[in-house]
Amino acid sequence: MKTENQKAWFLVLPVLILVAFSAVIPLMTVVNYSVQDTFGNNQFFWAGLAWFDDMLHSERMWNALGRQIVFSSIILAIEVPLGVLVARNMPKKGVWASVCLVLMALPLLIPWNVVGTIWQIFGRVDIGLLGYTLDALGVDYNYTQGFYAAWATVIVMDVWHWTSLVALLAYAGLQSIPDAYYQAAKIDQASRWSVFRYIELPKMRGVLTIAILLRFMDSFKIYTEPFVLTGGGPGNATTFLSIDLVKMALGQFDLGPAAAFSLMYFLVIMVISYVFYIVMTNLDKEEGGE
Amino acid sequence: MAQSSHKRGGAGLIAGLVAPWLAVGGVILWAALRASGEDSAFAWTQSLNPGGWMAWVFPTALFFWIVAGLLVLFSILAIRAPETPRRGILRIETTRGDRLFIALLVAGFVNLAWLALGLGPQWAALVACAILAAAIFRLV
Repeated sequence: MKTENQKAWFLVLPVLILVAFSAVIPLMTVVNYSVQDTFGNNQFFWAGLAWFDDMLHSERMWNALGRQIVFSSIILAIEVPLGVLVARNMPKKGVWASVCLVLMALPLLIPWNVVGTIWQIFGRVDIGLLGYTLDALGVDYNYTQGFYAAWATVIVMDVWHWTSLVALLAYAGLQSIPDAYYQAAKIDQASRWSVFRYIELPKMRGVLTIAILLRFMDSFKIYTEPFVLTGGGPGNATTFLSIDLVKMALGQFDLGPAAAFSLMYFLVIMVISYVFYIVMTNLDKEEGGE
Repeated sequence: MAQSSHKRGGAGLIAGLVAPWLAVGGVILWAALRASGEDSAFAWTQSLNPGGWMAWVFPTALFFWIVAGLLVLFSILAIRAPETPRRGILRIETTRGDRLFIALLVAGFVNLAWLALGLGPQWAALVACAILAAAIFRLV
């Protein structure tokens, strides 16, 4: 006879406690802050939905959201095709395949703030290789003052940091295609483009969906790298959502508006995460069904 | 035999879920009554734990209590009446829990849009959300 009891719940308890302290309690506190006002000293006064109303009509938040969407779109438009291109041209086996994989993985291992610092120095006109070279070539490049220079640097930095993730995922997808497909294509005298369009792309569909969603979610939450590189400047040019949020919450100590802001931000991230979850489970099912 | 032991385990779990939920509700009510001053009969918007941790007020406490209640209800339903996922208009497989999650998420966005567009009092948004939730449970 199969015995049933509920003892397994105790095994889940540590995780529940950990999640409670790292996620649930902070989230509840943010909800509480979002409907109250404080003048310090941990004294709170009821404000109702005023902060949500304020934030929904705040030009500042919509601007930050706009910049965020533009940023995420640009890096996706660059990183995904570039990653696929890199993956297609990486050696399939042998020593060089391993060398390439290690080299590709290196940027992913570097902590975010170190990436920011690397590019901050790299782009400096006086001591940085990139800034100095561009300056010597007569390009007016200064990421601390120029709008386009700041955006270009932030985007190139993100591309440098994360294209290898897309490339590695795409590479894994390519490696899983059996040789027979390529042989059949060869017999049919398929062009390089047809091979890509009708064999490789369909086989990479799953991993590329994961790569796009991962990169979108991560870029939507980006904070450390642009914060270290530009600090959100010049002006507000590279102030993305999370940078704006931190400025509001910790810089100005406007806890109420910042809490309302972060809850809206959280809702958007929840939607993206849910889509990600749905796609992942459906892919698993498809693979299981094959 | 297996059937009855399953039922017993279910009953224990239900007690383990409902009792704490009711206890938390009692604590919220007690805190609200304690926080009520002489000027108001009930502490709708006063701080439930002045100067304390997490800055609780009655409306947010009620909100989380109701969400917790929904989770308890759906857990009990999952134990008592297990179901198979189905495909709806979103063409994804959903269970009751998925539909609850979608309904809550939609409710969040509808409330925000209601406030942003100034469509009227916020309770009306809640009514709209309830109608939408019913539609989600039917169709999704």
